[in-house]
Amino acid sequence: MELFLQQVLTGLATGAVYGLVALAIVLIYRSTDVINFAQGQMAMFTTFFAWMLLSGAFLGRDIHPLQYWLAFFLTLAFALIMGAALERIVVRPVEGRPILTVVIVSLGLFSVFSGLAGYFWGGQPKGFPKPPEVHVAGIKFFGSGSLDIGPAVISYHDLTIMVVAVGIMLALYAFFQYTPIGLGMRATAQNPVASRLMGIRVGNMLSLGWALSAAVGAVGGMLIAPIVLLQPPMMLGVLLYAFAAAVLGGMDSPPGAVVGGLILGVTENLVGTYTDAKYIHVDWFGPDMKLTAALLVIVLVLMVRPTGLFGRKHLRRV
Amino acid sequence: MLRLEARQRRLLAFLLLAFFLVYWIPFSNTFPDWVPLQFGSFRIYQASKIAMWAVVALGLNLLTGYNGQISLGHGAFVAVGGYTAAILMVDHGWPFWATIPVAGVFTGAVGFGVGVPALRLTGPYLAVATLALALATPQIIGKYDNLTHGAQGISIPPLTTPGALDGIMNDTQYVYFVAILVAAIMTFIAWNIVRSRLGRAFIAIRDSEIAAQAMGISVPRFKTMAFAISAFYAGVCGGLYIQVVNFVSPQSFEVIQSINYLTTIVVGGLASILGSILGAAVFVLVPEINPYINNLLETFHLPTAETASDVLFGTSLILVMIFMPLGFAGFARRLTRLQPPLVMGSISNFFEQVGLKMRTIRSKPGGDSGEGPAGRPEKRPPHASDGEKGDGSS
Repeated sequence: MELFLQQVLTGLATGAVYGLVALAIVLIYRSTDVINFAQGQMAMFTTFFAWMLLSGAFLGRDIHPLQYWLAFFLTLAFALIMGAALERIVVRPVEGRPILTVVIVSLGLFSVFSGLAGYFWGGQPKGFPKPPEVHVAGIKFFGSGSLDIGPAVISYHDLTIMVVAVGIMLALYAFFQYTPIGLGMRATAQNPVASRLMGIRVGNMLSLGWALSAAVGAVGGMLIAPIVLLQPPMMLGVLLYAFAAAVLGGMDSPPGAVVGGLILGVTENLVGTYTDAKYIHVDWFGPDMKLTAALLVIVLVLMVRPTGLFGRKHLRRV
Repeated sequence: MLRLEARQRRLLAFLLLAFFLVYWIPFSNTFPDWVPLQFGSFRIYQASKIAMWAVVALGLNLLTGYNGQISLGHGAFVAVGGYTAAILMVDHGWPFWATIPVAGVFTGAVGFGVGVPALRLTGPYLAVATLALALATPQIIGKYDNLTHGAQGISIPPLTTPGALDGIMNDTQYVYFVAILVAAIMTFIAWNIVRSRLGRAFIAIRDSEIAAQAMGISVPRFKTMAFAISAFYAGVCGGLYIQVVNFVSPQSFEVIQSINYLTTIVVGGLASILGSILGAAVFVLVPEINPYINNLLETFHLPTAETASDVLFGTSLILVMIFMPLGFAGFARRLTRLQPPLVMGSISNFFEQVGLKMRTIRSKPGGDSGEGPAGRPEKRPPHASDGEKGDGSS
């Protein structure tokens, strides 16, 4: 039981990471119908930007190193601008083209960001700090150390990631559901032409979708970097899992993205633990197949629900 | 100048291409030095790779371009084909020529198995489900190591030229001929598929499943068939892979490979046979530009890095997609339509339009001031009342 609880907690922590990036993917998909393969590399790039501000080595010049939270919010601003600019410059020209064209454009962005990061900052892995401790009303937030939950232990940083993922999810939900801009974005995603006729600035909504997605990705990148070390390929594995998570939850549902990520993380972790030779005695399966098992779960779920757990089925009039 | 009919022109182009592929590429290294455009053995190896890559691109294009099903998992099918052929050859002593069709047929069966559950999925969901296949494949290969030799991979003894051809060509040239022959056969098959009932059914399903169904096409049957045929192509590519590269390991089939196949056909041209081949050529030759980029960076005193070429590759990928929506094949088709009179016509047309615009701009102010007041009453609608007329003049 103790082991089980511990493994579930660890799985939830990993799953929250997948969920964060999946959120970013879903944001772009629901506003612009684009599967953005560059999401992970955009997050990596913005995290490098944050690292630059934190370390004081700004593109070969020395600047005064900034405090964590200042750098954090500057990076968010940078990500917002970068996302909107990408939509304007790169995605707008291929708007309305077949989905594969747009996918290839995002693969092009993937290559550009990997290349630029390698060119500016080199391939050596770099350490990235965890967010410093903040005390609010006697409760400690962020920082390092660990916390006992019953018999299990969870590190503060993992807890931070989980809380942040759920927090962003709730914030996005509220944003889409209760604000006029969120309503505009939903309308744009559903029917751009009608939205434009109703006076919604469709172009701005699309840019905003990319900007928000880049910002969410940046938060994900800055929280993941302390675990996996900052380097150009740091998001590759996470990105593929995030895709799987987004699909599992349903590509157009922010809560689905987080739930999908958590399910994926827990499944993977439990399979990895309980298929050990200690528990099962077969040689055709084992902990090294945990990725395969997690993917199998996704494919099975898709067999039953072809648009994911929370995805809406699109009905088309013929 | 010699004028040829379309048919004759096509024949001439075909003969030139055949001459280039069968004679120039493999044997130009034996030509005297002053002949331009000679290909050394490394280039011949690259040409074999292009042929091999074209086979899988053709198969993927049948599935994605013609049938509209996105697959991000074709690396897995190539892996199945490659491993089937390698195991048959190394562990069971089969001759190489027998392994290629068997690898193709076996992979086709696997593709059929994948195609059935894929029926329920569309768009991003299908893409990720097939991506899952590509992700899991290296793990599965590594796990069942008593069959697949595990992580250290299988080395395949290189093909040697058979005795009858010994004096004529060396081993590299022989492999090239095998690859080009297989690629030619597969191209021929694909050509016929897309021009037959089967291909038309694929296209009809892509354009509208409901309309296709109404025409009496069994959608599930043809969709799974597209998957099976596509996997057959990937399997044949795998069989060629082990002859060209002489080594397979789980690392040969990472996810990026599957993504590259998809990029190949989109950049080359979706639903185009020529596009599959052009895309394959582009992809194999892309690493060639690497040294040039670093030279360029050095001339501008910028730091060089291996990743600089990634930036260029990504940028050109984006530019190609923006400016050539139909890929290289669509671009080539547009180029062939540009005939000299047409070009001249469009240029003169352009100037005429510009000139017209300039004339109208110049004439506008003069015309307005000269006959404005006098002309205006005439433009009034005939029903206009007298009272209105009086308002306007006062």
